[in-house]
Amino acid sequence: MNQIDPDQIQVILATDCGSTTTKAILIQYVDGEYRQTHRGEAPTTVEKPFADVTMGVVNSVTEIGELAGRRLVDDEGRIITPATDTEGCDIYISTSSAGGGLQMMVAGVIAEMTAASAKRAALGAGSIVMDVIAANDGRRPHDQIQRIRDLRPDMILISGGTDGGTTEKVVQIAELVAPAKPQPRFGSDYSMPIIYAGNIEARDSISEVFSEGGFDLQIVDNLRPVLERENLGPARDKIHDIFLEHVMAQAPGYDKLMGWTGAPIMPTPGAVGDILQTVAKLQNINVVGVDIGGATTDVFSVFDETFNRTVSANLGMSYSISNVCAEATMANVLRWVPFDMDERELRNHVKNKMIRPTTIPQSRESLMFEQAVAREALRLAYKQHKEFATTLKGVQQQRTVGDTFSQETAGQTIVNNMKLDLLVASGGVLSHAPRMHQTAMLLIDAFEPEGVTMLAKDSIFMMPHLGVLASVHPKAAEQVFARDCLIYLGTCVAAKGMPKAGKPCFSWELSGDRSGSGTIHGGEMQLVELAEGETGTISLAPARGMDLGEGPGKKVEREVRGGTVGLILDGRGRSLELPQERVACQATVQGWLDSLEVYTEEVQPAAV
Amino acid sequence: MKQAMVILLALLAALTTRSLGADITLAPPSGVTASDVPNDVGSQILVTWSSSPDEVEPADGGVRALLGYAIYRQVAQTADGLESIGEAGSNQSELGFPANFTFDDVEPIGSVSYGQTTFVDENVNAGGTYLYAVAATGAGGTFSPLAVASLPATAEMQYFNQGKLWFLIIMLIISGVIIAFVMFAKRGGTIKVRPIAGLEAVTEAVGRSTEMGKPVLFVPGILDINDIQTVAGITVLSNVAKTAARYDAKLKVPTARSLVMTTARETVEAAYLGEGRPDAYNEDNIYYLTDEQFGYTAGVQGVMVREEPAACFYMGAFYAESLILAETGNSIGAIQIAGTAMPSQLPFFVAACDYTLIGEEFFAASAYLSNDPEQLGSLKGQDVGKVIAAVLLVIGCLVATLATVTPTQTLEMAQLYIADNILGNAGLAPNEDAVMEIDARWNAVESKVKEEGGS
Repeated sequence: MNQIDPDQIQVILATDCGSTTTKAILIQYVDGEYRQTHRGEAPTTVEKPFADVTMGVVNSVTEIGELAGRRLVDDEGRIITPATDTEGCDIYISTSSAGGGLQMMVAGVIAEMTAASAKRAALGAGSIVMDVIAANDGRRPHDQIQRIRDLRPDMILISGGTDGGTTEKVVQIAELVAPAKPQPRFGSDYSMPIIYAGNIEARDSISEVFSEGGFDLQIVDNLRPVLERENLGPARDKIHDIFLEHVMAQAPGYDKLMGWTGAPIMPTPGAVGDILQTVAKLQNINVVGVDIGGATTDVFSVFDETFNRTVSANLGMSYSISNVCAEATMANVLRWVPFDMDERELRNHVKNKMIRPTTIPQSRESLMFEQAVAREALRLAYKQHKEFATTLKGVQQQRTVGDTFSQETAGQTIVNNMKLDLLVASGGVLSHAPRMHQTAMLLIDAFEPEGVTMLAKDSIFMMPHLGVLASVHPKAAEQVFARDCLIYLGTCVAAKGMPKAGKPCFSWELSGDRSGSGTIHGGEMQLVELAEGETGTISLAPARGMDLGEGPGKKVEREVRGGTVGLILDGRGRSLELPQERVACQATVQGWLDSLEVYTEEVQPAAV
Repeated sequence: MKQAMVILLALLAALTTRSLGADITLAPPSGVTASDVPNDVGSQILVTWSSSPDEVEPADGGVRALLGYAIYRQVAQTADGLESIGEAGSNQSELGFPANFTFDDVEPIGSVSYGQTTFVDENVNAGGTYLYAVAATGAGGTFSPLAVASLPATAEMQYFNQGKLWFLIIMLIISGVIIAFVMFAKRGGTIKVRPIAGLEAVTEAVGRSTEMGKPVLFVPGILDINDIQTVAGITVLSNVAKTAARYDAKLKVPTARSLVMTTARETVEAAYLGEGRPDAYNEDNIYYLTDEQFGYTAGVQGVMVREEPAACFYMGAFYAESLILAETGNSIGAIQIAGTAMPSQLPFFVAACDYTLIGEEFFAASAYLSNDPEQLGSLKGQDVGKVIAAVLLVIGCLVATLATVTPTQTLEMAQLYIADNILGNAGLAPNEDAVMEIDARWNAVESKVKEEGGS
């Protein structure tokens, strides 16, 4: 791949090869800024009978070319680079999650320490973590070996021990993996890549263990050189390298595709993580992103420049919808539905959705039910994310006598809704909701943002493309992210605390492009018009005990940005509690839905 | 008029007492009564009387004529039912003091000084009946005639101390709550115990040792196994040992008492066995150093500096060595968890350790770690008891403060009831004398206010 001068880049072509669809976008330098101009998509062709991913890529790119009136594919079926005035692009980049994406198994000594860091590294690189093997995971060695044997990961990441720490335990872990001889998913001649990122003093012993058996051992810096600090970069980079060199090289057509791209192909979730990190860093904000799919839900967060990603493997809107209902319980799902529903009918609906994942709601009732399920799926996924995104465990604490009665354990979550600035949604049920108000309401109910939080959705699931673009041209990625990728829904203002129903929760005064003032009472929601592109300053005076970001009862002034929904004022309190009694619950939920005009227009079946 | 008063007094004295004896220089006291002291085991009789007319301060500030009172006793009937009166001699009445009673021959059973009019005889047998007499005593060994109680008194044992009824009620409530919580827990109910950071961090500390390939050091205090803090420490040791067995970390326990060493060995061995790792148990890692406080401290410090454990636990009774140990542990970068009920050592542990179990938390550790329903229920019930005590304390403080700042009859009554009945020994019914006194005082105040209003 030739290094390209970012200043010379005018036309960027990006594709994301998903399991079913290959999505392509064209980014062009227009009027002094980068804009996404056209998009196209075609079925992915990684599976037989085509067995060549580039066919789908060419099809989607051809569609863009036709739309843009620009020839992007030459007669030999290759993408034309560099660009001229009428044809080609300056750089072509791609991400991939075809064939199930990157699947890994990780191992460490202690599940909450080095194994957790290894899991963070793998997830951050965009992989699906199939299992975590640790010395204290409660399984007997023969069970662990059997599990490793049963899994067919693309690669294995082994960590364990601080530098100068335990050697014995790390070698024991390696001695579980080596005799298990795990087989890779692709290619019979493919050596299983093992990345070792543990105690440097154990490297020789580890090399010896994996010297036989057809393993491809790669050694990188310890991802936990001391327990007080993580060093995930080298392990993540190595995962990306191996993804390209081994995993992608085995997938049909990827060797050809790699020859076309101007930057390394990235796993799709890894690219999403990268763009969120880039945006959080450039704008100095805290971001949470969510991608809810049919089988899994990915949650990304960047708080104080610390990135975390989780994959909730059993929370999704089609293949995993039954599991969502089981895990959340039907009662919790139905609390979001403001009318009575026949439980038998609901179960049929759930099972139908599971076996026919592409079906879309045909009635207002089924749409509301599906969105109720989505609320619970998102809530559970975010809960899992909070539990995973924590401070490091096993770290020495520094105390003073003042801490006598306020000692906190390590491993507290770093996810703080009050500090959250931007919440980005993507995934069918969120992106394709008939009304943006529904997307906003889903996000608020599931994530319970506190203080002042901007809500947005990924318009056409462009974040993966921009993630890989960020590695080549961060400025272009940020500009497109802000202008074309995100559809701003509006700003949510919510007070933390438990207000009494009907009593003042906070008063507000808006100035700027729009002006207005009022008081929000406990249990009340209000929608204030603030259109896309409009901004304003909101002054907030919370009631005693309520917190809007500066502490209980303290006044707050913030810049707010409008969107397709507007300014949402939420006086329901945090944490959000719904009445236990069914009739009261229905009335309450209906009141909220009416306040935000969530289902006021006639609902058309959602288009996917 | 004066003469009539003297005659009346003489008649009263004649009705209630019978004066006996010689050397009459002082007027006797009057109205002598004897009664059983209630709510005791039958070991006390209360004797009361009205002071002698001679109990007056001399007008010229000279020597008092009356110096005190001497109390005499005759056994009317023993606890075994044998009547003693009438067996002493022929010259005595059937029930009373002998006619030939002389002060020189008989020692009083007790005496009280000038101004006092009660005496508690604590040398009686339960069931025995006694007749009492009181004589005023003066300078130079003079006595008044004996004033004999009109009726004898029997010392009776009460099986139930009614003065402590409130104590019983509170005890029943707390016991009931404890039993209810235990039953609730046994039936599978969830009893929420506040997370104790120090105990939550045990796995983290042991995990750190495993990752760093260094041992875990457990110091069970410097007192012997008969100290409750050492016992609580051993309970925590059991949990630490289980975690160490599970995480395959090396556990070292230096002790300052041989019995503690034996107990610790048994505990750790059982923990390793319970986790299915008897092979990993090494009794040599649990060893005795010395009984000498600073010798032991130096020994433990040596272990710390040489082996640099990644986790140090200090669970038990500590004195001056607490800061020495905790600072040494801090300097080697160990996660340190301390637990003690020694208030003077807590600040040192809090400042130098990562986590500290404070007093009650330390003793609650057993229930917290074991998750045993009986222990959890008991812990919860005791918490309810503490809440009751705290509520009483707050109410009492409020009532007392209000009664002082804005006094009213009701508040004074409430204060009296809390002090005398709930916290004191007056039982359920209010103390009538005190109530009457308060009533009288407030009536006087009201009268005065009315008078002032009228004028």
